[in-house]
Amino acid sequence: MPSLNVAFPALVVARLFVALSSLPDVLKHNHQLSSPLTSFSQLQEGIYLFNHDIDIYSGGTFRHSPLLLATFATIIPTSHTLSSILWTLCDAAGAWALVKIWRARQNVASTPRDSLIAASYLLNPYIFMSTLALSTSSLENTLTLFSIMFACHGNISAALLAFAFLIQLSLSSIVILTPLLLLLITNPLSHLASPRPILVSLRKTIPLLGEITAYTLILSLVSTLVAGSWAWIPQTWGATLTLPDLTPNPGMWWYFFTEMFDHFRPFFLMVFSIHLLIYIAPVCIKFQHDSLYATFILLGVLGTFKAYPTSSDPGLFLSMISLFPETYPYFRHPIVTTLLHLHASLLLPLFHHLWLVQGTGNANFFYASTLVFACANGAALIDCIWAGLRIAIGKQHENSAVVQE
Amino acid sequence: MWNIRYFLLVGLCVPTLAAIESFFEELSLRNLNDGKVASRFSFTTRLEGVSPRDPRTLGFDDEAQHYRVFPLALGQILREYGVSELHLTLNAGRWDYDRWGYPEEKGVGTGAELWAWMGDGAPMSIDNRWKGLRNALAGLFCASLGSMDELRTTAPSQAFPPEGRLPSVDLPHQLRHASLPSEHVCTENLTPFLKLLPCKSLSGIASLLNPHRLFDADWHGMGVHVLWGEEEGVEVRLAFQSVMDPLRYSLSMSRDWSFQSLFSRVINKTCPVAVSSRVTVALPQQDAIEIKPNPSIEGEAAFFDVATVAKPLNVGMHWQHNFQYPLGEPIPLTPLSVQRTLKGSSQDRGQLSLVIINHETTTVYARYLETMPWLVQFHLHTLQAQVKGITSGNIISNFTYVPAVPHSRPTTFEAMLSLPPRSTIHLTMDVTKAFLRYTEHQPDAQRGWDLPPAVITPVEPLNSRMYTAGLLVDLATPDFSMPYNVIIFTCSLMAFIFGSIFNLLTRKFVVVRLD
Repeated sequence: MPSLNVAFPALVVARLFVALSSLPDVLKHNHQLSSPLTSFSQLQEGIYLFNHDIDIYSGGTFRHSPLLLATFATIIPTSHTLSSILWTLCDAAGAWALVKIWRARQNVASTPRDSLIAASYLLNPYIFMSTLALSTSSLENTLTLFSIMFACHGNISAALLAFAFLIQLSLSSIVILTPLLLLLITNPLSHLASPRPILVSLRKTIPLLGEITAYTLILSLVSTLVAGSWAWIPQTWGATLTLPDLTPNPGMWWYFFTEMFDHFRPFFLMVFSIHLLIYIAPVCIKFQHDSLYATFILLGVLGTFKAYPTSSDPGLFLSMISLFPETYPYFRHPIVTTLLHLHASLLLPLFHHLWLVQGTGNANFFYASTLVFACANGAALIDCIWAGLRIAIGKQHENSAVVQE
Repeated sequence: MWNIRYFLLVGLCVPTLAAIESFFEELSLRNLNDGKVASRFSFTTRLEGVSPRDPRTLGFDDEAQHYRVFPLALGQILREYGVSELHLTLNAGRWDYDRWGYPEEKGVGTGAELWAWMGDGAPMSIDNRWKGLRNALAGLFCASLGSMDELRTTAPSQAFPPEGRLPSVDLPHQLRHASLPSEHVCTENLTPFLKLLPCKSLSGIASLLNPHRLFDADWHGMGVHVLWGEEEGVEVRLAFQSVMDPLRYSLSMSRDWSFQSLFSRVINKTCPVAVSSRVTVALPQQDAIEIKPNPSIEGEAAFFDVATVAKPLNVGMHWQHNFQYPLGEPIPLTPLSVQRTLKGSSQDRGQLSLVIINHETTTVYARYLETMPWLVQFHLHTLQAQVKGITSGNIISNFTYVPAVPHSRPTTFEAMLSLPPRSTIHLTMDVTKAFLRYTEHQPDAQRGWDLPPAVITPVEPLNSRMYTAGLLVDLATPDFSMPYNVIIFTCSLMAFIFGSIFNLLTRKFVVVRLD
């Protein structure tokens, strides 16, 4: 295994090389890689209108956070080459944060697996392709990893600030707030094999909750100053709750609400939104001894069930599996999961093309492949939860089996 | 006793005599370069000394209106919603500006177009009055104007200035505009149109309005225009335009036409209430022709006063030579030629392309208006103007943009174009096509959606307006037979994953001995 000092720059250079090829132009409009909430061309459109003094949150299809808008409209120019480099560097930063999380979990300065961890992020096709398409979900992933990394290092303010920025970009990430707070008051070390009730008083999270609320309020205020009114809230956060744009994506919401009867729409929107929140408490209680694992599981839930997912959302979950090698022997059906993912990642682009470009397939083709993708993500989630719990029983002895009561 | 009676009589008569009503009718015919004949019927009714209803009085009962000639059904609608100016056109076909020049009636956009100026300050909002107005007109003209809902209503700032005057300057006026390119015009729209005329189609020029021939024309359209002027009062102009092709009926390439051949009717009687009633025929400049009966000629036009000429009146034109189709490209009659297309085969995005040719030797300034339903969303940052393949930055200036709201408001895009002399300008812009809910699709979803025409308004000549052809956009459709299946499939999968996860999280792991 090459050391991280060699492998990391090599991987980043290889990524830059691909990013500067003509591949990004082909992928730019791909619905699996960027959603209306994260698409780069929408961001460019928003910046163009913003620079021409048009109130972009009064209507239209611009659903990016005002913070992104302000950053790209004033500080960073959006030339395509520069953005490609920036997005790749963002991924590199994410990979670096993932390595730091791994080291914090192992509680050592460096390990031989470091390069493997970095590679699992930089070479994950779900993340890689999405970055090539310049989807802002890559930025969201990096922010997620940074807030987890800071939380692992006990760097409270940095972690909460990174998380507050993340909420500005994607409201549904609020699902991982609870495990992140628990991680801040505990440690990232692996306790999966020795579950025990949480020892620290939960009262400690109250000031943290206050701090994150304060950051969120300040950032929302900044957003309001940038946007000129509160209209950005229904346009950006509201979109994940009311689903105004039914552009296909690899998630489960879009076709469901395309086909939904109008009078049931608000009810099912509520059900789908609350469904995301339902997992927080049980996962945090069951994995209270290992909050990092709980964070990881909830990221998997987000990747499967969030409103406007791109391939990089389940991609983050899959890359994070590399942080928990101790669970590998206990996966429930890893081969089935791998094959499902392979199946889905071939079917999704194929059926999307058949439906929208070729015209030889219909919407059901693509819908069916999103169902397969959801099965694959669900299977991976079940694998990891099973393994995370099963590890506590230890090695299986002859003439005995581990079952659930 | 006598005095009292006299007094009562005068008191009863005065309000009914307050408005002076007058009715004018005109038919103008002109030969087009491609052998066709353009005709335009115009019926004007004036209500002198009357001004549109003040919108501030809309909350109270209206004062009684007494009309003799003015169309009552239309007058009631105008007063009910306090409309100051109104234009409704229903057209079929595409007006060919290159061959036919500017039309005499400007509103030639395909399908239905309705725009109205209304004063603010009423207890009812402008949007509610607009809704009432289009529904009332839909009922009056048997057209689907009710579908011109908020999905299609815009308020462009410059392309549709009032053609008359707007009353009381202290009252801010607002414009509402909508077009419905998929509306088909037919006889059922003409019948209510004729009912608004004082002589219906029984006498006068209106007796030529024969639906069998008018709706057989290459291009035809009708319009209702309501204006106000300080001296003229309220003016209602009902217009019918058509482009007919005498060559189609001719066996010998002869361009000869007459009322009988064009409309299968002649004028037998005069409309008694018409103040003036005349037929104008534009005289071709080069060809040798003969007009029957003998007209009075002024300049380049021949006139017939229907009231005085001998009846039955069957105006006809006879050409000495047979028609020969002009070889080569015809010389365009308008300074600009405009062509608009939607490119791209994919159902999720495309490119809107506008090609404008400036035939003049000077730079032409024109306003460009796009009113697009939210189905097609613009990417303005990709808007490019190219002349001879070179991107030019100073062609588009001064644009205003109202972005669409998904599932409701349309996009309004207005820009000033400065078109260099004798050049072809290519404007292109990327667009995304929306994905609709299954309930939002039309019954014939696979046919696609008609998009309204763009409007080009050259600054010179004043008050000219050019409509591009409409577009058809092909949107991705869901499977309409599957709502239950999709709900069942998705919910089952979610329940399966949810159940599996909660199963793992809630049940205890135990080791069991197998023997």
